[in-house]
Parts: sequence; structure tokens; C-alpha cells
Amino acid sequence: MMTNADQFAFVKKNPISVGCGVVALALIAGIYLRSDAIPEAEGILVQKTAQAERYALNIKYSAQLKEQLEALAGANKEIDGRIVRASQLGTNTQYFYKLQSDSGVKLLDFRQGTAGVVAKGKSTFVPIPFSVSVQGTLPQVMKFLRELESGNHYCRILTASCAGSAVARSQPLTLSLNLEMLGLP
Amino acid sequence: MLSRLKSKSEVPAPSATVWHPNFRNYQKLPDIKVVRTAFFINGAAILVVVSLLILLGFNEWQLHAVNAQTTAIQSQIDRDTKLSDQSVVLFKSFQAEESKVNEVDTFVKSKAAVSTIILRLGETLPKNVALDLLDFRENGLVMRLSVRGTPDVASGYATTYLEQLRSDSQLKLFEEFTFTGTPSPNPATNRMAVEFFLRLKGAPAVKK
Repeated sequence: MMTNADQFAFVKKNPISVGCGVVALALIAGIYLRSDAIPEAEGILVQKTAQAERYALNIKYSAQLKEQLEALAGANKEIDGRIVRASQLGTNTQYFYKLQSDSGVKLLDFRQGTAGVVAKGKSTFVPIPFSVSVQGTLPQVMKFLRELESGNHYCRILTASCAGSAVARSQPLTLSLNLEMLGLP
Repeated sequence: MLSRLKSKSEVPAPSATVWHPNFRNYQKLPDIKVVRTAFFINGAAILVVVSLLILLGFNEWQLHAVNAQTTAIQSQIDRDTKLSDQSVVLFKSFQAEESKVNEVDTFVKSKAAVSTIILRLGETLPKNVALDLLDFRENGLVMRLSVRGTPDVASGYATTYLEQLRSDSQLKLFEEFTFTGTPSPNPATNRMAVEFFLRLKGAPAVKK
């Protein structure tokens, strides 16, 4: 067992090795304590790099976004003008009577169905169902159909039945349609 | 020489049969080896310290480099944040506008134009065949026809017409072309009554 005096004498006798030992211990402690710093800093660097890249890409890809958005907004303005409003029954009926007068067919039946509910967040528009029956010659019926399909409003025909008399070919044709128009409630 | 390199403690004590008392204190005698043991111990200690210093220094230098990179990237982020946020807001507006256009596009393209099909059928109708009914259903088209001619000839016309429809490139939206029943004479018209069913592509089943 070394006394304090012995220890002091030992230090005095071996100052370099003892000093080096103390410094080495301090360095080991320092290395140990700082061992987490590099992985932590690297993790932050990776995170920041990803963020910077994301920002840079956002800026890069939005180079012409403003112009594209303006073009799209213009297109949507036009779309809004072609959308049917389910609540405006009078205007909708007027549209079909206008088609009747333009094409020359006779409107036998016209009914507007109940529009569905707009799914929140999923869609903006809702299909509004209509049932229409008209009578006329083939050119009249075709004109009515073409004006309906490529007319002012967006329309899709779900079912259609076009029949004439097999016995009397000169008789007018009857066209019955179940269709949907894109609209708002 | 080897004996000189040995430490003092390793030097064997003299034998007991000496002619005078041995007063030498081996612990306190100086190290008389050519290269003293302390030199090696000190050298090793310094080497260890220097190695540890290099390791710590290298780690600190690495840390400094990483931190410098992080700082540079952070300044880039600070510079781009405002523009990026504006772009994100703009893009969200774009997505909202785009979804409306896509919705309209999907709606318009979801069904084939009936008028186009009728026009095509009218253009390609053979002279001995007349259309009595066109019934566009969810899964396809029912065509009711009157075919002129004797039953044997009219059946041939009907079959030829069905083949013609099947090979029509403008009617590719249909994938199955079939008779719905046996053609039969219609006494009211003196013609053969024939019915075809043209099933739409992807339609689940044939409903006759």
C-alpha cells in the first residue's frame, strides 16, 4: 500500500508518464463524451439537405406554375359557365325546349331527377339525371342528339332507345334517353 | 548486454555466502541500462497521448466540417423558404383547379357518344337491312333489324352484317357481337326479324 508520500515521490520520479496518463484519461473522457456529436450532426445535416433539396425542387418545378394556374383558372371559368344547377329547374327545362325548337323534334316527356350529394373533398360537381323522350324524323332526332352531346352543358347518355315503326317506315322515330348532366346541387 | 537491459527488480540478489554484508539498495540504485526503461515508458505514454490527441482532433475537425455544411445548407434553406412556401400555396391552388378539370374530363369520357355510333351504323347499313330499334344499355347495344329476302337468304345477310359490324374499326368499343335469338320471319313486314347484341368492352355480363 502506497502512502501519500510514496505517491508524491512516484509522480516526482515519473512526471512525463504520469502526466501523459492523466492527459490520456482526459482525452479518453473527451472522446467518449463527444462520440455522439458526429452522428447527431450528420443526422441534422441529412435532414437539412433533404429539406433544402425539397425547397429547391419546389422552386424549380414552380417556374411556370403561375402561368399554368392562370390558364387553368381560365378553363375553369369556362367550365363554370357550362355547369347545370340542379336547383334551377326552369333554366334546365328551358334548355331542353330550346333544343326542341332548334332541332325540330317534339318533346314528349322531360323529367329532372334528384341530384346526388357532392362528396366533400372528393368532387366539386355532381351528375344531375334527366329523362327525355322526343319524337321526330331521323335528321331531327340526330340533330337533337348531337346538340345535346356536344352542346353548352356537359352531358353523358346512360341509356338510349331509338325506335321506329317496322311496318310504316315514314312514321317518326321515338328517342328515349336517360342522361346525366354535370352540375352543382 | 541482455542483463543490462533487465530492470533492477529482475537482477537476482547475490547469494548468501558472501564475504561481507551487502548494503546495496537495489531500488535506489540508478538505472544503468544503455536505454533506460523510463525512456520506453515515457515514449509509450507520449505515443498514446499523441494518438488520442490526433483522434480527438480528427473527430473535432469532422464535426466542424459537418457543422459548416449544415450552416451553409441552413442559409440556403433560409433563402428558399419564402419562395418554396409561395410555390406550395400556388401548387395547392393548381391542384384544386386541376381536380375540377379532371372531373369534367372523366365525366365527358366516361360514356361513348351515342350520336356517333348511330351515324356509323347508318353509314354502314347494308341495303337489305333496316334498323327497327337501337337500344343502348349499360352493358351494350341491342339492335333490332328487319332483313329483306327469303328466310335462307335473309339469315345470310344478317350473318354477313354481324361480321361486318365485328370488323368495323369504329365499333371497337364493343367486344362481343352476337345474335340474341334465332332470326324469325315477321308476318307483318314479310321480312326476317333479327336481333343483335353488341357487348361493350369491360361490361360484366350479357343481358339479352
